[in-house]
Amino acid sequence: MLNGLDRFFRYISLKQLIIFNVLILVLILTMIVGISKGSFDFSVLKYFTGNLTTLEEEVLVNIRFPRVLLAAVVGAALSMSGACLQGLFRNPLADPGLIGVSAGAALGAAFSIVMSAEFFPDFLFTPYLLPLSAILGSAFVISILFIITRGFGFEGMTYMLLAGIAINALAGVGIGILTYISDDAELRGLTFWTMGSFGGVTWNLIIPAIVIILSTIVWTLRISRKLDLLQLGEPEAYRLGVDIKKLRFDIIMSSAIIVGISVSLTGMIGFVGLVVPHLVRLFGGVNHHYLLACSALTGAILMVNADLLSRILIQPAELPVGLITSAIGSPFFLWLIFRMRKK
Amino acid sequence: MGDLLKKTIFHLIFFHSILFSQVTDCSSVQDPSRIIIAGGSITEIMYFIEAEEKIIGLDVTSVYPEETKKFPSIGYVRNLSAEGVLSMMPSLVIGEDDMGPPSVIKQIMATSVDLRIVPEHHSADGIVKKINCVGKIIDEERLVKRVIRKKIMPSVNQLHKVADKNKKSDIKVMLILSMQGTSPIVAGTKTSGHGFIEMIGAKNIFDSFEGWKAVTAEAIIAMDPDYILIPSRDMHKNSKVATITEHPIFAKTTAGRNKNFIIDDGMAMLGFGTRTIFSALNAAKTISK
Repeated sequence: MLNGLDRFFRYISLKQLIIFNVLILVLILTMIVGISKGSFDFSVLKYFTGNLTTLEEEVLVNIRFPRVLLAAVVGAALSMSGACLQGLFRNPLADPGLIGVSAGAALGAAFSIVMSAEFFPDFLFTPYLLPLSAILGSAFVISILFIITRGFGFEGMTYMLLAGIAINALAGVGIGILTYISDDAELRGLTFWTMGSFGGVTWNLIIPAIVIILSTIVWTLRISRKLDLLQLGEPEAYRLGVDIKKLRFDIIMSSAIIVGISVSLTGMIGFVGLVVPHLVRLFGGVNHHYLLACSALTGAILMVNADLLSRILIQPAELPVGLITSAIGSPFFLWLIFRMRKK
Repeated sequence: MGDLLKKTIFHLIFFHSILFSQVTDCSSVQDPSRIIIAGGSITEIMYFIEAEEKIIGLDVTSVYPEETKKFPSIGYVRNLSAEGVLSMMPSLVIGEDDMGPPSVIKQIMATSVDLRIVPEHHSADGIVKKINCVGKIIDEERLVKRVIRKKIMPSVNQLHKVADKNKKSDIKVMLILSMQGTSPIVAGTKTSGHGFIEMIGAKNIFDSFEGWKAVTAEAIIAMDPDYILIPSRDMHKNSKVATITEHPIFAKTTAGRNKNFIIDDGMAMLGFGTRTIFSALNAAKTISK
C-alpha cells in the first residue's frame, strides 16, 4: 500500500497533484451539500449539537447519508471503469456498457421485476432479490468474457469489442421479451429502473457493495503504469514486459465486478463512464496514475451532484438520475468533439 | 370475408382519417353477437351483467374472472393487430381510451366491424356510467338498469356515505404501484390510483404532480401517510407485498407503525370495472375506523 502511494506520487506532476487535492476537497464539500439538502427540511448542523428530533436523525442517518455515499461510490466505480476500458482498448468511445456487463445486469434485474411472482419461491422475496439477480446476470456475462479473453493472444482487442456488442444485443432481446410480457406495474418498474435511481437503498444493502467497490478501485490503481505502456501499442508494451493477457484479464474482471454491483443497486446510469475520463484528461493530461484516481474522484463528485438534482428538482417526486447524467453528459461530449474539430 | 379483407387492405394503403370522437359514444350496434373486448374492466362488466356468452376474444388485461382464460387472446390492449382482431370475425370490438395503436383502430373502423370506445372517468359514478354505456352498446339496456339498481347502487350509495365521512377527517393516503430496485413509484394526480383515493374520501399526499412518478424516501416520511394502498397483481403472493410493507422507509410513517397497509388485487383497485366499487368500499370502511 505504502509502496503504491510512493509510486503514485512519483509518477504524477505537480499540476496533477494539485488537481488531485482540489478534487478531494470538492468531493468532501459536495458530499456535505448532498447530505444537507433534501425534501425533508431541517438543518444538518443540528446533528452536531444534538438538537435533531429522532425522526430527523433517522432520515439523515438511515436514508440520506447512505444514498449520498452510494452515489459517490457508484460514480467513482463507473468513471474509473470507463477510464480503464478506454486505456485498455485505446479507444475513446469505450465505456462500462461496452463489455456487456451492465446489459447482463439489466437482464437479471428485468427478469426479477417481471418474472419473480411466477418463478421464485416465497422465502426469496426480500429487498435483496433484485440486486442478487442483477449480479447473477452480470456474473453470467463475466464468465462469457472470461472464456473469450482466455482464448486470445495480445491481438484480440477487436474481438473483445465485438463480443461486447453481441452480448449487448443478446441481453436486449431478453429485456425486450420481458418488456412484452410485463403488465403495467411491472413495465413502469422496468422503465424507471433503466433510468437509474439511488432511492430505496438501505445500509445492509450497500455496505458490502461499498466495501467491494472501494477495494477493487484501490486494487485497480496498481495497474496504471501498465496502462501507460499499453498506449504505445500492444506489441511495444509486450516487448517492454507488460503481460497483456493478464492486464486485459485484470481490467475486464475488475470493471465487470464494480459495474455489475453498481448497476444491480442503482439501475442504468448513462454517460458518466464515458465522459468523465475525457473531462479529466482535458484538465491534467493522460498519465494513468493521475487519470484513474482523478476519474474516480470526478465521477463521485458528478454523481453526488446529479443525485442531489434528482432529489430536489421536482420534489417530492424524483427525477431518474440517469436522465440527469445523460442530460449533462451529452452536450458536454458534443462540445468536446466541436473543440477537436477546431484543432 | 373476402370483402372485409379487401376493405382492410384498401385502408391499410389509403389512410383513412376518422375522428376518434365519433366512436367514443354508447350508441347500440346492429349486431352484438360476436364481441371482442380490449380492456379488463369491460370484461368484468360483461361477466357482471352475465352477458359473457357473446364474447369471442379478449386482450391480455382481461384476467378476471378466472374463466376468461378460455378465450383466445388478441394481445396487449395498446398494441393490437388489425389482422389478428379481424381474423376472429367479430361483429363488435369494445375497448377503452387506452386501446391502440391509433392506426390499427382506424383500420378496424374502416371495416364493417363496429368499434366502440367506452369513455372512462375515475370515479364511482364513472363506473356506473361505464356499465350503462356497455349495456347500451350491446342493446341490453333494461337488463343493465336492473343489475345496476339491484347489485351496484346499494354499494355505490354506501361508498358515497363513508367517503363523505372520511373527507371530514382528512386522512392522508398514498398508493404505491411498484417498488423494485428503485424509489417507490406512486400515484400522482390524473391517474387511476388518484381516482381510487378520491373515491374513498382520502387525501392523496402526492397531489403536487401528475402521473405515476418515483418519489424520494424522505418525501414519504415528511408527508407521513396514515394509510398506504398497494395494488398487488397476485393476491396469493403476499410475500411480494411483504417486501414493500417491511421496508424500513415505512417504519417511520404513521401507516407503517400501525401496519396500515391496504392490499387488494391490482385490477380490482385500478381497473375501474365493477370490482373497483367493492374494493373502494372496503378500503373506505377500513380507513374510516
